[in-house]
Amino acid sequence: MNEGTMKSKLPITVVMLVAGAFMIVPFLWMISTSLQTPAEVFKQWLPSKLDWSSHRRIWTGNYNFLPYYLNSLKIAVIGTAGALFLSALAAYGFARTEFKGRNAMFLVYLSMMMIPPQVIFVPKFILFNWLHIYNTHWALILPAMFSIFGVFMLRQFFMGIPREITESAFLDGAGHFTIFFRLVLPLAKPALATFAIIDFSWQWNDYENALVFLQSPKLYTIPLGLQNFILENNVDYNGMMAASSAAIIPMIVIFLLGQKYIIQGISSSAVKG
Amino acid sequence: MKRRGWVQRQGWVGYAFVLPNMLGILIFLILPALFSFGLMFTDYQFSNPRWSFTGLDNLRRLFGDDNFYDSLKHTGIFLLSVPAALVLAFLVALVLNRSVYLKGLLRGMFFLPYISSGVAVAFVWMLLFQPSHGPINEALRWLGVVSPPGWFADSGSAMYAIDVVQVWFMLGYNMIIYLAALQEVSAEQLEAARIDGASTRTITWRILWPLVSPTTFLLLITGLIMTMKSFALIQAITQGGPSGSTTILSLFVYKTAFSYYEMGYASTISWFLFACIFAITLIQWIGQKRWVHY
Repeated sequence: MNEGTMKSKLPITVVMLVAGAFMIVPFLWMISTSLQTPAEVFKQWLPSKLDWSSHRRIWTGNYNFLPYYLNSLKIAVIGTAGALFLSALAAYGFARTEFKGRNAMFLVYLSMMMIPPQVIFVPKFILFNWLHIYNTHWALILPAMFSIFGVFMLRQFFMGIPREITESAFLDGAGHFTIFFRLVLPLAKPALATFAIIDFSWQWNDYENALVFLQSPKLYTIPLGLQNFILENNVDYNGMMAASSAAIIPMIVIFLLGQKYIIQGISSSAVKG
Repeated sequence: MKRRGWVQRQGWVGYAFVLPNMLGILIFLILPALFSFGLMFTDYQFSNPRWSFTGLDNLRRLFGDDNFYDSLKHTGIFLLSVPAALVLAFLVALVLNRSVYLKGLLRGMFFLPYISSGVAVAFVWMLLFQPSHGPINEALRWLGVVSPPGWFADSGSAMYAIDVVQVWFMLGYNMIIYLAALQEVSAEQLEAARIDGASTRTITWRILWPLVSPTTFLLLITGLIMTMKSFALIQAITQGGPSGSTTILSLFVYKTAFSYYEMGYASTISWFLFACIFAITLIQWIGQKRWVHY
């Protein structure tokens, strides 16, 4: 690195910091507003003194966000765990075993990625009514457990594991299931972590399916609870922002903890289901 | 030779791995899709148990429906966010890839909106764009704009305000992928161009931009498809209003099915949406070979 680039590095960094600040201003404004009094909203950028009453209001009283949190957590945890296991199984099947019709089946998987969710909303609505799982959490959990994106992404990773490793286990007499559980899954930990984080964030943020398949307020997830709060309190700006903070902050924490995995996963597979 | 024989004898094992996932995909995706295709030719309504086959009536209705053409126009404006986010992301990635301090922090700042997507963010933007006292219009007035737009409250500007939020949301995702692509570009090549006296602008648009064109193409296609499918942001902020001005195609399907309960007609619109996505995918297959410089 020469003198010239060292000199230009500082001003460029400052310019980019200003641009980056614009990207995160909505978050800062949200947190700041949630700590203001109603009289201060839109009048000033920072609260004169930290007012936690809006945060208290959304965790106690009429709009208790705790049930919404627990509902979202339940759906995202069970859904992600199921998707992780079933996708890994299928991905191994497609990557490392041979059977009749394998390639044709994989092609069907790929082509299903083109089907927009809007196409199957109505049949799913009818199907769930028929199965008596409409307006239950299973209507969100069950479909989430079968992820095409997961199969696609993990298959890619499994194909990258050197053949020699699994081959020598074969010669020692191990079957496919032993190899999958004892050898491949431990090796695939980073890929599994990446998929788990991405899948969890999709399910945590899922609004469209919850909107169509949940009706009772006690079953609401965070996005629906938030929407409900705003429909009924559309001038309580401090409360709105406190509730939004409560929904967003867990995602920010997950991002900060899993940043490495998320960015790796997105860079390596620019495909989304 | 020996292993090959073993694999063949174990031929059923593959099914055991794939079957659990396959069953779910069949029940929750493939069969519903086939069923939806059938619904297209009926006048099925959820509230009314009596229905009949109506042939191509739904399609005829679609092509005579003004709401449909309006939704196409709105979708078109919504899709403008895709190239806008691409170009901005390329420029940001270019700068971050070159010499800046605090690269990790900056990358995180630009990427944060993508991970925090969802309804919560939609409501924050709703307040930021609030016409009379919101910070965006306050800032515009301070800059001397006498009557700033009504944003989400005005049918002329609502779709463009949605575009702003969408660009803000997608920028970081595109940037991450551009950063990965730019890391593949060899330093010697750039050094050679610099020694030959090429300006920064020439290097950017004549060398780097063509070199990352496979990435741009992929991001453009996946971005168009993803944007066509999504409606959560719009549903949360405007529910398609004011006066239908933000009802894009995917939201039009949702409203027809679950506000008016016209399931047959909704299926027809949703298959038109599929046709658009299919056409974009075809362009990808054909275009990858013809337009992309490797």
